[in-house]
Amino acid sequence: MRIVFCGVGALGSTAVWFCRNLSASSDSAQPGRRTQAQLVFVDFDRVESKNVMAQAFVKASIGKNKAEALKAQMLTFFGVKAEAFGVRLEATNVETICASADLLVDAFDNVKSRAMLSEFSRAKDKPLVHAALSGDGTFGIVRWDERFAPDAEDAEGQATCEGGEHLPLIGVLGSSLARVIQDFAKDGTRRDVMVSLRSVTTTC
Amino acid sequence: MAVLNITYNGLSADYPLDVRVALSDADVKRIAVEVVRAGGLRGLSVPDLRADAFDNFVVDRFDGGERIYLRPKVPFG
Repeated sequence: MRIVFCGVGALGSTAVWFCRNLSASSDSAQPGRRTQAQLVFVDFDRVESKNVMAQAFVKASIGKNKAEALKAQMLTFFGVKAEAFGVRLEATNVETICASADLLVDAFDNVKSRAMLSEFSRAKDKPLVHAALSGDGTFGIVRWDERFAPDAEDAEGQATCEGGEHLPLIGVLGSSLARVIQDFAKDGTRRDVMVSLRSVTTTC
Repeated sequence: MAVLNITYNGLSADYPLDVRVALSDADVKRIAVEVVRAGGLRGLSVPDLRADAFDNFVVDRFDGGERIYLRPKVPFG
């Protein structure tokens, strides 16, 4: 199973951390055989020092492209091989990067990219799961594309929780996303999740 | 009977909605303000909640409108 993570910032990088032992157990051609899922990372951004506070990057990755840095970290820490595309995912390259995906994971931080990925997913009938976080870092959702509509920022450049204050919730939401991915990889289940400071709730 | 789930300030709780008419988003937000002010949700009581507290929130409807979620926007990833 080829899983393409679109955006590896707070939620994307955290979810990848918890997908490091994901096996492609839904491979019907080889039932019972555990094979590592193919993980693919797409992100044009670079790791800044502040990202280390809220994202799954280490100090040695500062200054590197996020997709490439995550690929290197996964190999160094866990021996997991992955692919990386250090580019901005756009309508002009989404076919090239995502056509072979068995699952698309949206952890972007803007409406335009989320909408573009949804459009591609619907046109090509590719499974797509979204993860999204509130600006104050107190609430988030994991939701499959058929029940998702992207939210815009209240104001452009709105402050986010990247200072790390809400890292525990980011961790819970990222690991919830990883569990949703795991369930899908296992038997095609498409579960939605809502995460607040009080609870993790399955909503579908 | 529909169930309204309200998330505010990182806390989330359900409230049974015994209404037989379709509610607009504005109706849902107005009801939510009153419920939270009145302490109708376990663990989520804000007596001095502002009337516009939910103006920028999103209303999601699932299960044919039987499950309604009032939640903050989630623009980030």
